[in-house]
Amino acid sequence: MRASFPAVAGAAAVAVLLTACGSGGSSSPGPGGTGQAGGAADQVKVGVIPIVDVAPIYLGAKKGFFEKRNIKVSMDSGQGGAAVVPGVVSGQFQFGFSNVTSLITARSKGVPLKIVAAGNSSTGEDGKDFSGVVVKADSPIRSAKDLAGKTVSINTLKNIGDTTVRQSVKKAGGDPDSVKFVELAFPDMPAAVEEGRVDAAWVVEPFLTIAKQQGDRVIASNLVDTFPKLQISTYFTSEQLAKSNPGLVKRFTEAMDESLTYAQEHPDEARDILGSYTKIDPAVAKELTPPLWETGINKDSLEMLAALAAEEKLTDQKLDIKQLLP
Amino acid sequence: MMTTATTIESGERPTGSTPQRRTERHVPAGVLGALGLLTLVVVLELVPRVGLVDERFLPPFSSMVSALAQEAGTSTFWAALGATLTGWAIGLTIALVAGVVLGIVIGSIPVVRAATSSTIEFLRPIPSVALIPLAVLLWGTDMKSTLVLVIYATFWQVLLQVLYGVRDVDPVARETARSYRFSPLTTVRTVTWPTALPYVMTGFRLGAAVALILEITGELVIGTPGLGKEIGVAQSSGAVPQMYALVIVTGLIGVVVNLIARWGERRALRWHPSIRAEVG
Repeated sequence: MRASFPAVAGAAAVAVLLTACGSGGSSSPGPGGTGQAGGAADQVKVGVIPIVDVAPIYLGAKKGFFEKRNIKVSMDSGQGGAAVVPGVVSGQFQFGFSNVTSLITARSKGVPLKIVAAGNSSTGEDGKDFSGVVVKADSPIRSAKDLAGKTVSINTLKNIGDTTVRQSVKKAGGDPDSVKFVELAFPDMPAAVEEGRVDAAWVVEPFLTIAKQQGDRVIASNLVDTFPKLQISTYFTSEQLAKSNPGLVKRFTEAMDESLTYAQEHPDEARDILGSYTKIDPAVAKELTPPLWETGINKDSLEMLAALAAEEKLTDQKLDIKQLLP
Repeated sequence: MMTTATTIESGERPTGSTPQRRTERHVPAGVLGALGLLTLVVVLELVPRVGLVDERFLPPFSSMVSALAQEAGTSTFWAALGATLTGWAIGLTIALVAGVVLGIVIGSIPVVRAATSSTIEFLRPIPSVALIPLAVLLWGTDMKSTLVLVIYATFWQVLLQVLYGVRDVDPVARETARSYRFSPLTTVRTVTWPTALPYVMTGFRLGAAVALILEITGELVIGTPGLGKEIGVAQSSGAVPQMYALVIVTGLIGVVVNLIARWGERRALRWHPSIRAEVG
């Protein structure tokens, strides 16, 4: 979620060129394997970001959901997701985790990607989502409508943040075009709100909990205002792998679905696993609101984000979402 | 660049003629250094406590230390420390060897030197960090990505010093070697190398620091394994004391690296007048 989109798309485009030229020399051991019937397990490397959203894959790996499908999964949590899309395209990663808007924009620029499994979704409950727009305790801003003319920080300009915050403002009856957006990293936002450098901030967990702990008020659940249970992120692979090894992709999807369901049904285990790949304070981990981990690709949500991306001119024309679907 | 040899013993300028006399007249440098460090610690502890900055964003020094103690109890921390030091050592070694070999070859052959100088001057100022996108595309978050940055940045430090060192060779000595029909290898060993060595050591010392900076930068920005990555994870987890604790560790590594580099320099140049003068 942190990667700025132009960087991802640009990098991905170059990655495509590089792989097309046959350089890069990334001969990963994994995906070519036959795997299916008792042979050596397929080595699968998944590019993720060390955030709450990817807890299910860590939990699923620990629970052996991948192993029993003959997949030896390992996660590479490169800082800032900029490396994930190029990594998948060039074959360093067999799968990756990315927010949907970034995948839509990359695909519309011709980067050959396919969504294979759900990642995480908004809970769909206003005020009880894993993300929201926060203001200082004594701020005059009471609702999303008051954001008109104010400065709101988001993690990446021209991505899911500004798109959805504008929806909140529109829904509340304010002028969405008068909101000023500035780019800040999520970790810096609680401090920026506290010191009045921005009027409001769109934050995700664990920073939502951290902001609330410092007394900030949540004035809008922008994801909820955009679409019920908006699917924020998904796991994806390269078109090449989807074609050359459909069996592996299918097994990965199954394992992912089992992991998502398990994490959703065992929230305490999901909170515990955070300690294995993040440094989130256990006190915060206990408090935070996890996203909704449901299975299956939410086509309506995808359609909606594709339409919004076109509306906001992130893509030249609305992407036909079939291109991203398996 | 004639100053290079003298900068070796920068730091302590010999004010008195013997160490004993110095301690009588002044407070020893070690004590002053410790005092400075103590002041910093006190300031770091007090500034958040007094409320000059928010404790949540800059925790007091004591909570950084307890976070560090907590980190030190995890295997992740030691693995990260190991990865950082390994990357640093490999990168520095490759850059050092490549810089010395190429420096001597280029520096010893005037034609090559003239032909390459503009290219070197063009490539040298390119910040290593600017190569990150390229490294990520080629090697992803593999350790190699950061290694390339480290080597690139360090190589130029060493190469330039070696080139200056080779240029510093006494022409009479060089002509003498030629008159006696020394083989190129013998010339390098007996004439070029001793002259260039102080410069090589300066390059080593500068390179050691630069390599560490780039190692941490690469880990932080690209996400290759190491302390830099852990700092990034702490940051994106909102674990502020842990983040500062890891930053302190990188600082400590820097101090140790510098001490080792200076010690290496002294040992290698025991015979050199700049070092001998200090002792005598």
